[in-house]
Amino acid sequence: MIILKGVKLFDGERLREGLYDLLIEGRIVKRIVPTGNMNMFEGAKVIDLSGKIACPGFIDIHVHLREPGGEWREEIKSGALAGAYGGFTTIVAMPNTNPPIDSPELVRFVKLTGERAKGAKVLPAGSVSKGREGKELTEMARMVKEGAVLFTEDGSPTVRTDLLRSAMLYAKDLGVRIMEHPEDPYLSENGQINEGKVSAISGLKGIPATSELIDVERCIALSRELDVPIHITHVSTALAIRAIRKAKEEGVKVTCDVTPHHLTLDESKILESGYDSVYKVRPPLRSLEDVEALWDALRNGVIDAIATDHAPYHIDEKDLPFEEAPSGIASLECAVAVVLDAWEKRNRPVSLDRLLRLFTSGPSRVLPESYRSLGYLREGGFADITVIDLDKVSRVDVSTWKSKARLTPWNGLSLKGWPILTMVEGEIINDI
Amino acid sequence: MEWRHKHLFDIDDWSREDIESVLNLASEFERRLDSKESLPSLKGRTLVNFFLESSTRTRVSFEIAAKLLGINVMNWATASSSMAVKGESLKDTVWTLESMGVDMIVIRSSWVGAPQYIARKARRARVINAGDGTHAHPTQALLDIYTAWKRFGSLEGKRVLIAGDIVQSRVARSDIIGFKKMGAYVFVSGPRNMVPLHLDALGVSYEPDFIKAVKEADVIYLLRVQKERWKASAIPSDYEYHMNFGCREEVLKEAKPEAIVMHPGPINRGVELSSEVADGPQSLILEQVRNGVMVRTALLYLYLGGER
Ligand SMILES: [Zn+2]
Repeated sequence: MIILKGVKLFDGERLREGLYDLLIEGRIVKRIVPTGNMNMFEGAKVIDLSGKIACPGFIDIHVHLREPGGEWREEIKSGALAGAYGGFTTIVAMPNTNPPIDSPELVRFVKLTGERAKGAKVLPAGSVSKGREGKELTEMARMVKEGAVLFTEDGSPTVRTDLLRSAMLYAKDLGVRIMEHPEDPYLSENGQINEGKVSAISGLKGIPATSELIDVERCIALSRELDVPIHITHVSTALAIRAIRKAKEEGVKVTCDVTPHHLTLDESKILESGYDSVYKVRPPLRSLEDVEALWDALRNGVIDAIATDHAPYHIDEKDLPFEEAPSGIASLECAVAVVLDAWEKRNRPVSLDRLLRLFTSGPSRVLPESYRSLGYLREGGFADITVIDLDKVSRVDVSTWKSKARLTPWNGLSLKGWPILTMVEGEIINDI
Repeated sequence: MEWRHKHLFDIDDWSREDIESVLNLASEFERRLDSKESLPSLKGRTLVNFFLESSTRTRVSFEIAAKLLGINVMNWATASSSMAVKGESLKDTVWTLESMGVDMIVIRSSWVGAPQYIARKARRARVINAGDGTHAHPTQALLDIYTAWKRFGSLEGKRVLIAGDIVQSRVARSDIIGFKKMGAYVFVSGPRNMVPLHLDALGVSYEPDFIKAVKEADVIYLLRVQKERWKASAIPSDYEYHMNFGCREEVLKEAKPEAIVMHPGPINRGVELSSEVADGPQSLILEQVRNGVMVRTALLYLYLGGER
């Protein structure tokens, strides 16, 4: 038995008044009572957390674990641990591995390997098409039975609209949704950075904001027509936000997420750094106006989740001239701090309730109904808990990372606001 | 004279005085060569022409410039950039070159930012950008400025037209920066799909009517259409391009009589300009090539810390 003593409580929806004691017995949250009213159980381990915030375990619906086929970049095990050390109790593994996760057997492989990792829970996402070739649908029903929670071609868009449409309809009755990586492949071809001032100055080939918008509008049109939900991942532009906002107002069942890096970095970093490849990411870092639009969208509820798009590479693959380097920012272990720090520096433009929902009940609503409880902290529920300390200041140090990635834009920076304890089904993984 | 820049990535962080120092030094070196006086010596220094993208003219230009100063020159050319370097990482190659005692790395690459990357990895050597992808080509810009400056004396208020495939052109980007720093008014022309959408970031205006642009210009700078870089077809045909944006005799007749025609080479005759214009009296294309050697000699001298 474990008692988390004197915490503020965020239950998945709101931060409750007062301080609480949480009794965890086995894998379950047994009791939640106002602090001081808990009988001291014989042998219970008491952790005094006075004033820190206990939340439902954070959920990251977009991470790349690279296994199978890219184990030198990340393994399911290292990624699951990195997730837990970063404050996440659940992470969704993207299927663009080698081979891609396109069969029930591979879904089971990811699930089982994740369970053995003893880190964050690893939920597999399956690819929409066999071999990610964009031609034939995967065996979604069998894959869902093995634990697939989302289907996506992530890393690239679902190019054929007929396949996307078909997948959405097929997935509807399985209770899972399609997650689309919004991009027009022709407009982005060979693109290196955002099309805008920096591409004009640098000559690097730009990826226009319309590349994202065109696919977002396509998803919205299909979702409206079919009355099937769709999730759009790593939205990066003001244009796309505006389209999603309008669609939501009309009642279209579209959800979306943004990444910590698109919320905190803009294209000017590429020039300032002398074309340092750590800033190369897809979708690219956008303009300052786009960054502001994303914060606005956090504030007015257009965004449903913050997801990292953690994309680990080996240093030898990523430490190259900008144009030669692969795209991706590794961030699992500092993402929560990156967001909390930026939120603080911007004078808390979003209420704390809303911000914390983006890591908890928000992403849980993108998952199948049966996973809904993951985003809430209640008596009788699983003890998946993330405790955060908004005042803790700490430096990002990649040498201590559980992730195999070693290049990140935030290495060496001091950030304020960190997860300090991660508990997965009653098991404390990260206790700093 | 102490030169305050360590590496040459582009001339965006240069002052007008910096540019003028190079012009004056190039001009002094040119005078000495013409009157058979010797140039100062940087004997014992070693330069490597590190060319990951082939360009015989720029490489030879640097080679001649270095030899005029008595600098040892090595050529480290890799046939085609990407794959050849991947076997041996770029960073290892830089360290290898430095271990061999190289003082200066002149880098040409198809990757934007490759010179900055090399400079971050280098422990001692200085780096000069001889063209990085579609980004910058500062030594070309300086030789272009030198050529126009010699002709006009001052570039203050002169109207410089850069025409053609702007979006793909490293020469255009560096020339825009350089000519503007020298007080010239720079504007661009060419098919609209070959001009960056966010042209305001470059601080120049756009004139879609090529003939109108030519009429106004003191310098008519023509760029090559880089067909190999265009994924989707950018121009319907060479002939159509030539008729609309090519500098032909009939077009040049509309220009000011003292206007000069320039081009970074290699030229596509019958596309961006006709042979009559390329080889005509207003063309300074061959002079640009000669001036390139003088400007690069001045740059090597400054960057390797020669005394005046
Ligand atoms: Zn992704």
